[in-house]
Amino acid sequence: MTATTDTGVGITPSATRPHVPWRRRLPYLLLLPATVTVLALVGYPVLSAVLTSFRQSDLAQLVSGETVWNGLDNYTAVLSDPAFWQSTVRTLLFTAACVSTSVLGGLLVALLMRHVHRVVRGVLQVSLVLAWAMPMLAATTVFQWMFDQNYGILNKTLVQLGFPSFAGYSWFSTGLSTMAVIMVLIAWQSIPFVAFTLYAGILGVPGELYEAASLDGASSWQAFRSVTWTALRPLVNVVTFLSLLWDFKVFTQVWAIRQGGPDGGSTTLPVLQFIKGIATSHFGIAAAVSVLMTLMLVAITWQNLRLMLRAEEAE
Amino acid sequence: MPRAGVKKVVVSAVGVLAAAFFAFPTYWMISTALKPSDQLLSDSYDLVPFGVTFRHFLDGIGKAGFTTALGNSVIAALGAVACALVAGLLAAVPLARMRFRGRKGFVLLVLVAQMAPFEALLIPMYLLMRDLDLLDRLPGLILVYFGATLPFTAWTLRGFIRGIPADLEEAAMVDGCGRWSAFRRVTLPLLGPGLVATSVFGFITAWNEFLYALTFMQSEDKFTLPVWLSGFHTQFGTDWGGTMAASTVFTLPVLIFFLVVQRNLVAGLTAGAVKG
Repeated sequence: MTATTDTGVGITPSATRPHVPWRRRLPYLLLLPATVTVLALVGYPVLSAVLTSFRQSDLAQLVSGETVWNGLDNYTAVLSDPAFWQSTVRTLLFTAACVSTSVLGGLLVALLMRHVHRVVRGVLQVSLVLAWAMPMLAATTVFQWMFDQNYGILNKTLVQLGFPSFAGYSWFSTGLSTMAVIMVLIAWQSIPFVAFTLYAGILGVPGELYEAASLDGASSWQAFRSVTWTALRPLVNVVTFLSLLWDFKVFTQVWAIRQGGPDGGSTTLPVLQFIKGIATSHFGIAAAVSVLMTLMLVAITWQNLRLMLRAEEAE
Repeated sequence: MPRAGVKKVVVSAVGVLAAAFFAFPTYWMISTALKPSDQLLSDSYDLVPFGVTFRHFLDGIGKAGFTTALGNSVIAALGAVACALVAGLLAAVPLARMRFRGRKGFVLLVLVAQMAPFEALLIPMYLLMRDLDLLDRLPGLILVYFGATLPFTAWTLRGFIRGIPADLEEAAMVDGCGRWSAFRRVTLPLLGPGLVATSVFGFITAWNEFLYALTFMQSEDKFTLPVWLSGFHTQFGTDWGGTMAASTVFTLPVLIFFLVVQRNLVAGLTAGAVKG
């Protein structure tokens, strides 16, 4: 009698009742640290960037601490500055060049990995990992050394190959050739990721599909179009999207090579933002540049963002 | 058959050329670091070093600031990874396994934060750190890297947790494990490779980062390796041997990580990018 009431009273009310609200609260407690961090370190800066872009925020205001709203003045200043438009066009062309070389190069290397001899594939994969693993700034210094005017291996090789005019040729004397060198550097660094991703996709294609294609008498180009490309298209979309995000915002390589020079000839939008904000302390102008940059990035990647959100909704 | 054989040889030859293209800069970095100085600055054409020397490594590493910068880089990267891993794992569990009101909102928050162009937040971050008096101090940099790597960490770990069948945990709970101990004994060990891959990503992101380190760290004893390396030429004239030796040391930890987790790397990156 006593034993039954004891267990009855002991378990039912006091053990299960406090469990219910705790359980319900658990997900929110677990999410709390991440939410606070994201709101403080991403949300607040985004909001503050937008607000700063409508303020006059130069050294004087920073020192005095007063808030001076100036409406659209920063935007008018930025949008009427020819340097901004030059940087915008340069950034867009540069991004397009980097993304297309990385994706196309990555696709070719992935196909190469499928068709080469086993040993060559192993060597190729190790080489790709070497390129992928080198930190951006280390890679930039190595490229500077390879492209060095007097002692760089590239000029020396070109001279050896019978182009004596490259002796002492400076690759960084014009904006265009500087951007071209940076583009080669970025393609060299980003092709490995694209190649490995697409190669993983190729491995996932069932072999029977190729057999069926060859039974139907498809040429290798037709087999590629109907089998490989169909399977790879979603992955190609993903790597293109990621490359767009990465290449549009590139700062490290551009700044480390020539600080946006010669004569602003390699100044992209991230470099412009850095110069306006940090070097000359026009924070309001720099914030306007970064807001415009973000809007451009959203516009460029809008299709992909929508598809990703829809996929998440569908879950 | 012979035609296919010829084709394979040609394709493999192209493969060797591609391998050479991707491996050459690493080879050139290391061989430059090992060459005697007089061989570097000569007109001769040597693809192979004659006479190996470790002088540049000793010089480069002995140069003012290298060890400090190395230490700063390690602290900033490890600090950020540790914070991101804890907060990210805590967030990944409910996002992957629990049903609750507002779940979609959290997912959206993480996704949008992952898309946020950190490079475009330089100015507000700079002002924020100035107000918090964290400029030119390592905790400021750790905070920024924490914020930059957390959404990715949470999202990728969510993908890895989803890859582990929830049935396993439920089976353990049927066998008498509590909720927490079922997670700790069943899911956590299986999550090991995911945790390693995710933290390596975070580490490499922070290790690589240049823009914020360049902006926030003003005194030389606060430089991280990328900032120190970028100032190398101007500070000491162009000492290519020393620069390449320092670059080699800078690259080594990342290279080792990559070789260890390369297999999980692609899976993790695309899992985070496409969907969990």
